[in-house]
Amino acid sequence: MPKLDTDKLSAIRKVIKSKGLEAFILTDYNDIKYIMGPVFQPEEAVMLIHPKGVYVTARALYEAPVAADFPEIKIEGCDKDRDLKAVAAVKKLKLKKVGFDAMRETYHSGKIYIEAGFTPEDNFMVPIRCVKTEDELKKMRAAAKIAYKTYEHMAAWFEPGVTEKQAAEELDSFMKANGAEGCSFDTIVAFGANTGNPHYCTGNAKLKKNMPVLLDFGCIYKGYCSDITRTFWFGDKPSLEFLEIFNIVKSAHDEVVEKAVLGQSGAEIDAISRSYIEAAGYGKYFTHRTGHGIGMQIHEEGCISQDNDNPILENYCFSVEPGIYLTGKLGVRYEDCFYMTAKGIKQIK
Amino acid sequence: MKCTDEKIKNLQVFLKKSGFDGCAVTDLDGVNFFSDFAFAGPGDAYLLITLKKAYCFTKQMYAADLKKKTPYLTLIDSLCFEDIVKKAKALKLKNCIFAPEATGYIPGVLFYKNGFKEAEGFISAVKEVKTAGELARIKKACAISAKAYELFRKELKAGMTELEAAALLENIMKTLGGEGLAFSTIMAFGPNGANPHHINSKRKLEAEEPVLMDYGCKYQGYCSDITRTFWFGKKPSAEFTKAFDVVKAAHDLGVKLVKAGVKASSVHNAVVDFFDANGKLAKYFIHGLGHSLGTAIHERPYLNPRSEEVLKSGNIVTVEPGVYFEGKFGIRYENTVLVTDKSAKILTK
Repeated sequence: MPKLDTDKLSAIRKVIKSKGLEAFILTDYNDIKYIMGPVFQPEEAVMLIHPKGVYVTARALYEAPVAADFPEIKIEGCDKDRDLKAVAAVKKLKLKKVGFDAMRETYHSGKIYIEAGFTPEDNFMVPIRCVKTEDELKKMRAAAKIAYKTYEHMAAWFEPGVTEKQAAEELDSFMKANGAEGCSFDTIVAFGANTGNPHYCTGNAKLKKNMPVLLDFGCIYKGYCSDITRTFWFGDKPSLEFLEIFNIVKSAHDEVVEKAVLGQSGAEIDAISRSYIEAAGYGKYFTHRTGHGIGMQIHEEGCISQDNDNPILENYCFSVEPGIYLTGKLGVRYEDCFYMTAKGIKQIK
Repeated sequence: MKCTDEKIKNLQVFLKKSGFDGCAVTDLDGVNFFSDFAFAGPGDAYLLITLKKAYCFTKQMYAADLKKKTPYLTLIDSLCFEDIVKKAKALKLKNCIFAPEATGYIPGVLFYKNGFKEAEGFISAVKEVKTAGELARIKKACAISAKAYELFRKELKAGMTELEAAALLENIMKTLGGEGLAFSTIMAFGPNGANPHHINSKRKLEAEEPVLMDYGCKYQGYCSDITRTFWFGKKPSAEFTKAFDVVKAAHDLGVKLVKAGVKASSVHNAVVDFFDANGKLAKYFIHGLGHSLGTAIHERPYLNPRSEEVLKSGNIVTVEPGVYFEGKFGIRYENTVLVTDKSAKILTK
């Protein structure tokens, strides 16, 4: 049963207050899910958090079930123009200083909120959601455990002639049979030259002896994601090129694990793996960021990327996934997820 | 099926006809729709489409794949909204538009300040009438989900939890060629069916009770949507059978009324009247009769009392009447149909 997370709610109220506001409007599907659990589908609800309570306006069919399941929430059904309904609720509650998230709002609704005198904030929920609670970490560890167990199963599963899609089916079923609610994204299984495409969509290629295999996958457990990537050589005669690239990528990953510390920015942590791969002569083949934030969503803020100058704070969760891609030939990526602590980064497992 | 620029061409025809010379598309669904490419997340790419060209602002990691699959896109290595504005200025665009409901507040303000015009609903207008290529994909997605129902019925057993049954169904769809879910599967046993947006739980299936399943898959980026309610066992209650027959007849009436030239709201209203005339069930029908789908699971036109649209040949809509009896059971019966000049063609069969 979904329930209102009062710990998260009081953390949000603190931030509202610290910004000199009384109340805040949330529209983003994931922001609302963060507080209430999985109740609505995207674009079905608007939430107003104010000092005395929580107001929600949502599609009318939710009125009865939400009222029954969430006695703390005042809900009003509304099937059209929920932004206007929220503005009316603000007036009724006589709230003066109300914020909204300009980064999450559409231009259409943003204009309505500006006209109502609300204050635009940038990415209001991001710093709150980046810092994972113990409960969130627990769920993420459980999601990671399923993924690691699945990798062990898959490593022994492959045989010549299987297709990428068959492998993905086996992988997905194994995760679900081991407690996953679903996949955190479409599983990537790439054979041979397909590994050279960092954005590959699982296809119908058949596995042959002596080719690389890349598996990038993760699952959802109690609403939280895991994400891992492994690349290995299928067969007993790995090419020298594969071994060389694999060692560079794995070492770049391990360098981050060893050297990343609390207080560094996403860009500084990204530079650890990037400079390692550059020094090895493969800089231009590392075509993506080192990692991304992760939590309820597979991609969250708090990225380990060249353009993130914000610090990675305690209990931020993120992937570390350096890769080298020789288009049309071969690619290697190696990925685990971590959280930041006072003593450096710790693997979520 | 290959990526195609037919939707960009349709947009260009629309722009020309309406006297515009360009448009900015920044929301993920709009970007994936026009580019015919599967970008993974919001902010991975933006489009500036002029009468002659389509510029794609994106990150380097997509470049190799895009060059191969979407040669009709001119790539620009930037994800800065300012660069979209700069490009529009360099191209001397005079009548460049953006969709206020599908543009973030921040880029919307930037576009507006730089002379772009608000044009509400132009993306959905282009999306409403499906191209032959889109129809082929939607038909395939629909065929997969309909076939999955048959296979699922043979494997569903008493004692399975809703979560397990959903995983079983999802795996069957994957085996049949489905490439992901159109939305989170709803698998509701017994009284859980009374909540139209039930969240799957660990409740086990008992002999002699109803099952409501609402689900769909994606095929090459396009969704299907189908709902089936049935009695698991051999002795359906008289109450269930009676309500089921009315819902099925309401569905058949809805499908019969759907054709080009008909007001979308009139189909919904006719079904409400039908429910009223048959056991006074209208008050238990608490949602709209249907919606369109495509790359997104909910698109225009909607079949509900607020809809102002007239159905056109080439529209896709769902017809999904349902009645819900709190604490007892719910019944919904849904098919995805294609609107033609003379009738509606059921695709989920």
